[in-house]
Amino acid sequence: MSATVARMPEERQPTIPPADPEHQFHWSHIAFWILAIIIGVLLLLPIYVLFKVSVSTLAEATAPRPSFIPREITWANWQRLLSWDIIGSPLQHSLIVAFSTAIAAVLIAAPAAYVISRLPRGPRYFVVLGLLLTRMFPEVIIATPIAANFFAWGLNDTNLGLTMAHLIRTLPLASWILVGTFEVIPRELEEASAVDGSGRIGTLVRVVLPLAAPGIAVAAIFAWLDSWNDLLYAIYLFLTERTLPLITYYYANRGTVTDVATFSIILTIPVLLLTLFLQRWIRSGYLAGAVKG
Amino acid sequence: MARDRAAGVLVAPGHATVPTTPVYQQRSGFSRWISRHWLDVLMVAPLVIYILVFMFIPVAQSIYLSFVAPRTGELTMANYQNIVARSQFRSAFVNTIGITIMGVAMEMVAGIVIALMLSRAFRGRGLFRSIVLVPLGVPTLVAGAAMLYFVGFNGYLNSFLLNLGIIDVPIYWQQSGPRGMFSIAIADLWKTTPLVVLILLAGLEGIPGDVYEAADVDGADGWRRFWDITIPLLMPSITMALILRVIDAFRIFDIALVLAGQAIPVMSSFVYFDYQSGSLNTAAAAAVILLLMILVFVVAYLLLVARRTEDVR
Repeated sequence: MSATVARMPEERQPTIPPADPEHQFHWSHIAFWILAIIIGVLLLLPIYVLFKVSVSTLAEATAPRPSFIPREITWANWQRLLSWDIIGSPLQHSLIVAFSTAIAAVLIAAPAAYVISRLPRGPRYFVVLGLLLTRMFPEVIIATPIAANFFAWGLNDTNLGLTMAHLIRTLPLASWILVGTFEVIPRELEEASAVDGSGRIGTLVRVVLPLAAPGIAVAAIFAWLDSWNDLLYAIYLFLTERTLPLITYYYANRGTVTDVATFSIILTIPVLLLTLFLQRWIRSGYLAGAVKG
Repeated sequence: MARDRAAGVLVAPGHATVPTTPVYQQRSGFSRWISRHWLDVLMVAPLVIYILVFMFIPVAQSIYLSFVAPRTGELTMANYQNIVARSQFRSAFVNTIGITIMGVAMEMVAGIVIALMLSRAFRGRGLFRSIVLVPLGVPTLVAGAAMLYFVGFNGYLNSFLLNLGIIDVPIYWQQSGPRGMFSIAIADLWKTTPLVVLILLAGLEGIPGDVYEAADVDGADGWRRFWDITIPLLMPSITMALILRVIDAFRIFDIALVLAGQAIPVMSSFVYFDYQSGSLNTAAAAAVILLLMILVFVVAYLLLVARRTEDVR
């Protein structure tokens, strides 16, 4: 594992020494803790409020001067929205598209990333930089003609169409993660395997692929998350069908506040779990592509 | 291997053992290259074709569409004249820049403060770090939806300010103008600060400890250390975080759409609304202007920062 992805900074020793204990020890220490607590509370507050509203009655949620402490807890919103009639179809679309995007992204990006990773230094940096620069295109400049074309081809409201659209955003990111993965696999291993008489494809499958498996998994999870979170391509391409982000958006537009909060929490749960799971492998660079503004 | 490199041919090792037979020498250079590298080409082709067809061609298509009249197909500037004359577009332009300036400024300050806190050793650091990363695990759309409950007229922000006695009557936050930009910038701040923290933290870890020891010997206090050592040495990370954040803030879509919809348009949502109302060409024109905004920022920033660092040297 450590061969493929950088270790998190938390495992290193902090390089900045703690403030000199003899100077202003007390107040600076207390100020530090107060600041840490305020920041922690502010960061958790939106999630808490969403959850609180999702278990409130509509009357309580819409009352003026809402309080942070729930007066009465009800699971009625959850029971109503979790019925298959409401969430079944969006959930199916979201899951099918997210898994298809993850699988297709790895199938397309991994072979290319391997070849890129074996390029000489100069061209390799050039290609990797090019992959990153695709981020400068605003998504709407791509999505607008894509939507027009996909409607002409009958790909609107289909899982295939949305998967193809999500791949546009995911492929550069997945390729980038995978180039980093393959780069650190020593070439000597491949040469040894070639000497043993394995063909090139045999070497790739038996030697390179197993070593790259953790990096491939990380790339696939990021692709999955990217697709699961997407609103932009879904709103362009899905007119009659819904995905989970899309139904959340429509409820935010026209639904009740308790329903929006409930859908938001449903949408967030898998993402939060996967992100906390991925914490160890989150390098700042990966996130540059994974998080959109 | 060595000969391949000398010849400037891109070769993956492990398959460079193919002997050069006289048969190859008789063929032309290209077919010889193909016969060696067909597998590499085959492996790269899907990615290259996909990015060309579904990314570069659509961008070119948008640029083309922005310069042609909807029905006749003649070349025209009418699409640009059309959008520039609309107040909705002008406010989208202003809002995008306002949100970017407010949001990115707050994100950089919050990012530096939190990164400095995390670079110290203290009890509960692991927990604090996990809490800081939580917004990363929340879809951008949800960040916008969550902010609905804070900035609404009967929202938590008004409730909090009323309870503290700072305001007497609730403020309407979701209106166009600075307040609306501020609401969106706050949602963006919450969602993206963890990313800035991670980039800056990686930079901080790279500053060698003995630089600080030398500063201590020279008697520099904490404030001097921060401005004279930390900030200059952190500059590459700050540049990276700033460029990434400004690009993404210019492209902001989900949060603005959920939080304010048509009331507070931004460039991306303007493009979407125009497309939705059936006006493909003006939508494309607005998208091209957004692309230009991003390019102008990146080029200007790189030129300015590159020149400044040269001056320092």
